[in-house]
Amino acid sequence: MHEYAFFLGCIAPNRYPGCEASAIKTSEKVGIKLLPLKGASCCPAPGAFGSIDLNVWYAMAARNLVLAEEMKKDIALICNGCYKSIWEVNHILKHNDELRDQVNEVLAEIDMQFKGSIDVFHLAELYYNEEICGLQKIRDSVTTPLSGAKIACHYGCHLMKPQKERHFGDTENPMWFEELVSAIGAEPVQYRNKMQCCGAGGGVRGYDIVHSLDITNEKLINMREAGADAITELCPFCQLQFDRGQIEIKEKFGDVYNIPVLHFNELLGLAQGMSPQDLALDLHGINCTPFLKKVL
Amino acid sequence: MAAKTYNIPELDKKLADRRYHLSDSNPDFTKDVLKTSRTIANMCFQCGTCTGSCPSAPRSSYRIRLFMRRCVLGLENESLTDPDLWLCTTCYSCTDRCPRDIAPTDVIMAMRNLAFKRDIIPKNFLQTVQAIYKSGHGVPNNDVNRAARTKLGLDADPPTTHSYPEYIMGIQKILDHFGLKENADRILKGD
Ligand code: SF4
Ligand code: SF4
Repeated sequence: MHEYAFFLGCIAPNRYPGCEASAIKTSEKVGIKLLPLKGASCCPAPGAFGSIDLNVWYAMAARNLVLAEEMKKDIALICNGCYKSIWEVNHILKHNDELRDQVNEVLAEIDMQFKGSIDVFHLAELYYNEEICGLQKIRDSVTTPLSGAKIACHYGCHLMKPQKERHFGDTENPMWFEELVSAIGAEPVQYRNKMQCCGAGGGVRGYDIVHSLDITNEKLINMREAGADAITELCPFCQLQFDRGQIEIKEKFGDVYNIPVLHFNELLGLAQGMSPQDLALDLHGINCTPFLKKVL
Repeated sequence: MAAKTYNIPELDKKLADRRYHLSDSNPDFTKDVLKTSRTIANMCFQCGTCTGSCPSAPRSSYRIRLFMRRCVLGLENESLTDPDLWLCTTCYSCTDRCPRDIAPTDVIMAMRNLAFKRDIIPKNFLQTVQAIYKSGHGVPNNDVNRAARTKLGLDADPPTTHSYPEYIMGIQKILDHFGLKENADRILKGD
């Protein structure tokens, strides 16, 4: 078993608990154990905190990192926004002595110190990583292949971009997420402008909801065009934007899509035989039942 | 096409005037942005690849290339008082495509940090600060969700500050170190 401190963030545990439950259960089936990271907080939200004062963002993210350092465990997480805060601040503080000293001065007030002794991973990259899990293990864990389901993959922004500071390679037309979706028996579809943002980030969802939803709407048009039965993503905030966003788009623009939105962990959970009840799919804004009837 | 207007007469007048006035330029602003963003914004040659990549550009008057120019020219007031500053979703598409290896996204973040120092900040950002100060979470738990969690076999509250509120004090100390909660309360009250 590979053990990780499971950094939850906010939206997964507090809005889509199926993301959290499925992450714990699906990972266990492929040899990954997610341990509770006690006392963790919001990552904090990179759009809001980074915009207000980057120094606060560094210090707050560092506190979360130190909790995992004290456990002597690397962090695994399931949200691109959390990845931006937790992975990136870890990376910056490991490589910038001046900033690290500044942050440690603040952390000293709460008897903490950032050491830079752990690494941070998105669970999806661990699934893809041959040394930890790999596609074959994912394939072997599937009991109910989602055959016939056409799935639009939304990579989101903050996992892979900016490319030169990350390690995921090409950000114009990556295919590794599609490979994961193929591994659970579903059919990934290609759609126009796949790497476009969901529209929620940078505080824009709260600042100008119509602007934000207009970006989402463009993505939904392109996904529908490609015949997607469902959308999958790696970020509960993107999930919220596509899922609740479709309801808001209907109210504000009158456009109706009814495309269910599932985190990759929820999709994997279904393929491994978890029931829709085990995933709290009834909390989703867009009804998943027609999709479930088609695939299960 | 109608010119962009914010119904703020002073700002509209400013934006209508496309000339470069030396008196509007603050060279320290350029330096501050470069320092906070840690990117070589001064290397921008105005090709426009960033605006061409930007999901916010086609649906608003927000132009990231314009903010890059303002940065180089030291146009502090125009940058920080323009409401478009807050339309960047921080998607980093411009950063991945800039042929000069600049991170325009980080220029925007730096400008937002400088705007906050002048109390210019959208309300929703400050409300997130208040929520985290209180509970540790920007998006806290609620009763519907607690019931759903219990059905899934999870604890009603996640093992975060929600289950271990003794950790909230540390978070408050960090935020207080920067005076952030105080500033958020003050700015929101003034609205
Ligand atoms: S893409 Fe880079 S060089 Fe071109 S205008 Fe934008 S910031 Fe300047
Ligand atoms: S990061 Fe901001 S400015 Fe750059 S392309 Fe995305 S929304 Fe536009």
